[in-house]
Amino acid sequence: MDFDFSEDQVMIIDSARKFLEKECPKNKIRELKEDEKGYDPELWSRMAEMGWMGLILPEEYEGTGMDFFDLTILMEEMGRNILPAPFFDTVALCSLPILEYGTSEQKKRFLPKIACGEEIWTLALTEPSASYEPSGVELRATSLQEDYVLEGTKLFVPYANVADRLLVVARTSQEGITALIVDAGSQGIKTEVIPTTAHDKQCEVVFDKVRVPKDNVLGEVGKGWEIVEFLLQRVSVLKCAEMLGGAQFVLEMANSYAKERVQFDKPIGSFQAIQHKLAEVFINVEGLRRLVYEAAWNISTGSPSRLLTSMVKAKANEVYQQTCIQGVKVHGAIGFTEELDLSLYFLRTKASEFMLGDTGFHRERIAVELEDYQPLFMSV
Amino acid sequence: MDFKFGEKEEKLRKEIREFTKKELPPGWLSSMLEEESDDKEWAFAMSMSKKLAEKGWLTMSWPEEYGGKGASLWEQLVYSEEASYWGIPGVTMGIGGVDWVGPSLMMFGTAEQKNKYLPLIASGEPDGIWCTAYSEPNAGSDFAKIRTRAVREGDEYVINGQKIWTSAAHRARWCWLAVKTDPDAAKPHNGISVFVVDMKSKGITVRPLMNYVGLHIFNEVFFDDLRVPAANLVGKENNGWYQLMHSLGYERGSIAGRCYGYNKRILDELIVYTRGNGLFREREIRHKLADIAVELETQKVLGYETVWKMSKGDSPVYEPSRDKVFNDHILERLAMLGTEILGGYSQIDPLSRNCKWTKLNGHMEKLFWLFLGFAFAAGTDEVELNIVGQFGLKLPKSY
Repeated sequence: MDFDFSEDQVMIIDSARKFLEKECPKNKIRELKEDEKGYDPELWSRMAEMGWMGLILPEEYEGTGMDFFDLTILMEEMGRNILPAPFFDTVALCSLPILEYGTSEQKKRFLPKIACGEEIWTLALTEPSASYEPSGVELRATSLQEDYVLEGTKLFVPYANVADRLLVVARTSQEGITALIVDAGSQGIKTEVIPTTAHDKQCEVVFDKVRVPKDNVLGEVGKGWEIVEFLLQRVSVLKCAEMLGGAQFVLEMANSYAKERVQFDKPIGSFQAIQHKLAEVFINVEGLRRLVYEAAWNISTGSPSRLLTSMVKAKANEVYQQTCIQGVKVHGAIGFTEELDLSLYFLRTKASEFMLGDTGFHRERIAVELEDYQPLFMSV
Repeated sequence: MDFKFGEKEEKLRKEIREFTKKELPPGWLSSMLEEESDDKEWAFAMSMSKKLAEKGWLTMSWPEEYGGKGASLWEQLVYSEEASYWGIPGVTMGIGGVDWVGPSLMMFGTAEQKNKYLPLIASGEPDGIWCTAYSEPNAGSDFAKIRTRAVREGDEYVINGQKIWTSAAHRARWCWLAVKTDPDAAKPHNGISVFVVDMKSKGITVRPLMNYVGLHIFNEVFFDDLRVPAANLVGKENNGWYQLMHSLGYERGSIAGRCYGYNKRILDELIVYTRGNGLFREREIRHKLADIAVELETQKVLGYETVWKMSKGDSPVYEPSRDKVFNDHILERLAMLGTEILGGYSQIDPLSRNCKWTKLNGHMEKLFWLFLGFAFAAGTDEVELNIVGQFGLKLPKSY
């Protein structure tokens, strides 16, 4: 048992923090809210130069071959600073499934482009039902000679407005779900940015008879849900790490404010009503940190746990939201304004909560695991 | 980063499980820190203390010369987790014997004190049972304001005053007593000393305080011209506050594992119970169980973090308070959910263990009626949050 970071990991954290503070300050985040693309291509290429897109891809695909834990702590830094860019979408939601399920041909074709920052990818999974259950996938993929023809609507697709390719989860038969790699420029795709509160470029993507070559099936036909499960059971930990980073920063903001803001001739942080609020938040953020690291370490060392991952996502959803709410309360009226950086974080919590499963969704998955589990006292 | 226990710890885990299988009655569910209330249970707890001592587990963290095994913090954690999951009674030697009296004596005691008291605790015999007397009617959270007074007279100290909430005083052979030796100290913290007191001495009166379910756990203890040899002063006169704070660190390492093990068992019992009677199929119930499962996993890794910091030689300051607050929240939720699950049956008196309608050995009712007591013991939530705020977040002192 050892919770120290390795030297490499400390380097990842330090360099990411410095880089993001310098290259992606809060005024840039605000500008990007109004930007049509919602990300800065120049920053994107610099991130690629840092080796971030290929951080855990093997060297043969132009990656640096680090592990899942390393990517986890990088995501934590991105959450801490806020990085308005399709990084999670491209790297976590798409490159990892390709690495896991792609044919060697697909890996060779797609991964180096992701690693070099040449292509932006995103996952088109959820639909108007806004569900992460298999039943939520209604978009049809009908076989027609060498192609599939896609017909349907995907909703809350992050950064589809700038994506080069989409990983589309479609229904290929009554019971069968299949993942397909789709050129975003294909004929029949219509993308529209949804006006989310966070202005984070989530899109509605309508597929009107879009033809996709059968070579572009990722994994096996009819077994696409396995890929979604891979995302739910492993990749979601990366989202949790991002949320952890955000929660940590919000806590730090509120804590500094409580030390500076004077009322009744004292810093408000000296009042227990404020201090206990912050202490409770602090306890939860510290707990979330250890949970995220535990889950990430398990995945890194080849023993992912469905139960633990759902626990982490449920916890992250709750902690990030509560941290922001308590953070606003500590700030009082100023916390309610656009000018306070806290708002940038708070407004993003809804997207993070929804991504790869909200709290109720994961609570149910935990319950399913508990239903089958053999308690220790009955097994010895 | 490494979240795995070593071979040594895993081996110990297995040994403890074998031990519990052999030594505990089938279907045993611990009686949760109330062993001192009932003569029969107390006798069973004492018999287990003896067996744990023979295994070398009772005081495993202590150096071998004092009857320990020099076990690592991680081994202690595993032992604490397992012992409380299985409900092995008699692990503490009263209140503090193993956790802070022994370690404090090792740090601050004279050679004579060490040689006399440490082997007694390590033996698991009734003569190694301690109570700890800190709180007074007017000094609870504000402990530095204690008034029980010790005045030196020749080779003795004469002690007068009253303690309260003294758990296990009616079972203890010795008392770990904090008193005022300098009531005029500029800061009240600087006038406190610690004594070892023989509970058989003249001048001590123990008066039972029953809690609201009728368990006799704590007491009032009165000192009337109690004469204690000066040789029983532990460490330096007026240095008691510092010594107590220092020894708390030792207690903390074992507490995280103990709390997690106990809570995990309760959760497991509730899962099995609700699967059995179909309640688990109710979404509201299974989701509440799921939520608590998340909290327990969090508690586990937070506790590991505390032990990890200690294992690196750091002395945790706010972490034990953090872990205590977290545990209090979990206990409250478990108690509420446990009795919600029992429904009408939660009305049965937890002391009527032989009632045919009692569910889960009366454990949920007991937890419900006792969790508030645990929340006060060893520092209320509010006091612990003050510590977390002050030392974890570096906020101004708020009290």
